Amino acid sequence: MEKRENKLIQVYKSKKPYSDYILFGILLIILPILVDFGLIKYSYLTTIASILIFSIVALGLNLLVGYSGLISLGTAGFMGLGTYLAAYITKDLNLPFEISLLISVLVPMVIGILTGLVSLRIEGYYLAIATLAISEILRKGFVEFEVVTNGFSGKQASYPTLLGFLELGRNGSFIMIVVFLIGIMILTYNLINSYTGRALSTMRGSEAAAQAMGINIFKYRLLAFAVAVAYSALGGVLYMHFVKYTYPNAWTLTLSLNILAVIIIGGIRSIPGTILGAFVVFGVPDLILKRLPIIGDIDGAAYIFNGVLIIIIILFYPLGLIHIRNDLKKIKFKLRKRKESYSEQS
Amino acid sequence: MSIFIQILLNSLETGGVYALAALGIILIFRTSNTTNYAQGSISMFNAFIATYILMGTGLPAFAVAILGMLSAFLVGVLVDRIVIARAQNVNPVAKQIITLGLIMIFLGLAPMLFGTDPLQFPRFVYGAHTIMGANISYNAILNIIIGIVIMLFLFIMLQKSKWGLAVRATASNDIVARMMGIPTPLITMGSWAIAAALGTLAALMIAPTSSVNLSMMDGVQIIALLACVLGGFQTFYGPVVAAYIIGFASNFISFYISSIWSDSILYVLILITILFKPNGLFGKKIVKKV
Amino acid sequence: MNNHDFILKIEDLSIAFGGLKAVDSLSFEIKEKEIFGLIGPNGAGKTTVFNCITQFYKPDRGKVFFKNKDGQVEDLVGKRPHEIISKGLVRTFQNIELIRELSVIDNVLVGSHIEFKASLLSQLFRLPKARREERDLRKKAEEVLKYMGLYHIKDQLVAGQPYGILKKIELARTLMLNPKLIILDEPAAGLNDTETIELMEIVKEIRERLNTTILLVEHDMKFVNNLCDRICAISFGKLLAIGSPEEIQANEEVQIAYLGKGDE
Repeated sequence: MEKRENKLIQVYKSKKPYSDYILFGILLIILPILVDFGLIKYSYLTTIASILIFSIVALGLNLLVGYSGLISLGTAGFMGLGTYLAAYITKDLNLPFEISLLISVLVPMVIGILTGLVSLRIEGYYLAIATLAISEILRKGFVEFEVVTNGFSGKQASYPTLLGFLELGRNGSFIMIVVFLIGIMILTYNLINSYTGRALSTMRGSEAAAQAMGINIFKYRLLAFAVAVAYSALGGVLYMHFVKYTYPNAWTLTLSLNILAVIIIGGIRSIPGTILGAFVVFGVPDLILKRLPIIGDIDGAAYIFNGVLIIIIILFYPLGLIHIRNDLKKIKFKLRKRKESYSEQS
Repeated sequence: MSIFIQILLNSLETGGVYALAALGIILIFRTSNTTNYAQGSISMFNAFIATYILMGTGLPAFAVAILGMLSAFLVGVLVDRIVIARAQNVNPVAKQIITLGLIMIFLGLAPMLFGTDPLQFPRFVYGAHTIMGANISYNAILNIIIGIVIMLFLFIMLQKSKWGLAVRATASNDIVARMMGIPTPLITMGSWAIAAALGTLAALMIAPTSSVNLSMMDGVQIIALLACVLGGFQTFYGPVVAAYIIGFASNFISFYISSIWSDSILYVLILITILFKPNGLFGKKIVKKV
Repeated sequence: MNNHDFILKIEDLSIAFGGLKAVDSLSFEIKEKEIFGLIGPNGAGKTTVFNCITQFYKPDRGKVFFKNKDGQVEDLVGKRPHEIISKGLVRTFQNIELIRELSVIDNVLVGSHIEFKASLLSQLFRLPKARREERDLRKKAEEVLKYMGLYHIKDQLVAGQPYGILKKIELARTLMLNPKLIILDEPAAGLNDTETIELMEIVKEIRERLNTTILLVEHDMKFVNNLCDRICAISFGKLLAIGSPEEIQANEEVQIAYLGKGDE
């Protein structure tokens, strides 16, 4: 029995990090069941779903910022575009979810590639604010294209129907989000460990070296933007079919900054870091702070505490919370050493 | 002709508001090396404080505005002392996220202290005058003049005073500046304080039309950031001039082309401009050596 | 045009920055399998010549003929910087351009970027083609690292490696494609005497084993004299003399350019 267990652990270890991702996914899928048994509040599930959706979006941004060294404050706009397209295509045009998913990701991706063209001329703060302008143009579109977007009052959609007959409920949609997230984590891991990932890193580290080694900066910048925007739009589609409501003011600069915060807080260039960051930025207020006595009772207090938390994390872990692992190891090491020296003395 | 003059005067007023906010952002950028996304939230918060003083004391609006700017100055000092001064070793992107943390704090504090209802803030002066067929309120004239006077004063100070020299030295290289005996932490603190005061003035200028509410500065904040990009982050005057340009462009576009799409058209025009001038209208190109 | 014995021929190369002529009507040619040194006092325009050859700078005038992998002679001027490596020409940099966050072997693998052919989809899903390609080229990178004596640190990050090792990694990166011409920008700068001697041996060995040509810029005259078959001396972007190390050492103009007139 013990031997078989060891083998299982061996397989698990040999398939890392995929096995970690899949285990994480399985744990998440258990959640709706716990909700059905009344062990977890329903509202937790909604919060966790949005954390997972924002994780997908942030993974794209992490690829852009962490690997290719570009920056974007347009995330919210592209995510919003994804929601509106998904709502319009499934509700107004009555097309199947799968087609909607495809179009709602591809259209923003094309716009994202155009944004990438901007990045060929503009860098750093200029690029950040240029992408912010693009996001604001999109948001103005959400307000003014009333035929499609329904203006300020926003737009609704329903849970998705897969393959034309499989109507997903709340739990089904949640599971779908989990599946997408785990898939995206795996694909992202593959991408950053491929030659494309190395090319992006090289481009960020040294443009000169990249060019000398035959890396086409033009191509890889556009690629980085395309992937980041595709993830944003996918996040938008999933959001639309879970939250079932979208309106222009949901897609502002603050959301883009929040998603940037996810990767800075969690850990740049880290997939688990991104998930961790999403939990801190989007989860801590709803899951923890609002449940606490006093803080939870005062309007806005959870928000303030989250702001304070974000600042504290950046001051103490400027490279991301994921690096807390090393510190914990160090502490453990120190404790063990102390214990040993103590036992030696006695 | 009268319409043209009307638009021109309106543009000077809105341009001035944008310019005050942009000057605050560029001051902080040059001395702390971060784009302060919390500029709008800090201004909004202090506009609330000013309005509360007004409601509590019945002082005239201009006196309240001065008190509001003073409180903003204080908030700026506190923000710098408590947070920014400790973040010297934080990388630029993470520093921007710190300003997001600040947004959350002020956006959380404001409704807690002042409630969620929008508040009214009066004009500084009432009455209007007709110039060449264009109708302009005394308040607008006052705003235009206040904006220009304050900015001229700051620019003269930046060029001529000891403080200005210290700011410019810190902006060009803070390590060398510190070695030359310039108290850079004090200079940075001053920038945050002045920026907050400028932003609050901008907020109180738009308050009579927008009302004092949580999102009152959102639009101004974005335009101020765009002004920094359009004018270039390398000079102090660039963003200010760009802010006025944006003010004019926005008013002209909404009157002559489309009022619904004016912002979008404006943003597209700004994007196109910076594609041709990647370091802004007044920025110089920095050549990288291999 | 096929039967020339040169691998690189520069003709009348000129570039100016804001009126200042950095390279002025420079011409020279490098024969196949030669180790060719470019020397000159500080600010003579040596690195600028390299940047003009590799198209990081666009020369104002002149031609850069290169006999590429297929034996065809073509003018590199007007090509984009990232197209140069595929012709069989690869370079290092004065200030070591490695990626700190990547491991040693990953940095070396970047050197064979253009040999990777797997599609994006294939990479995303780690399809057999992408896997095979990655495995094969990784094996090659390991061989190169073994050859350079860096195999034991292959999985360490580049960040924090000592200077001499960084120089070696950068050199290893140029070897991934079996280039026809390797351009080294101050390879010995910052190395101590033992490291310099070791580097000299490595460069000679690379030429023999890879059957390649080497063009280098260097300040260390001992290094250049001991290593190069021929040397080209330039000053203020202009050609002073071309010849064997002995000839260059004996050349009066070169001495003046280096030491100034009438001193010592």
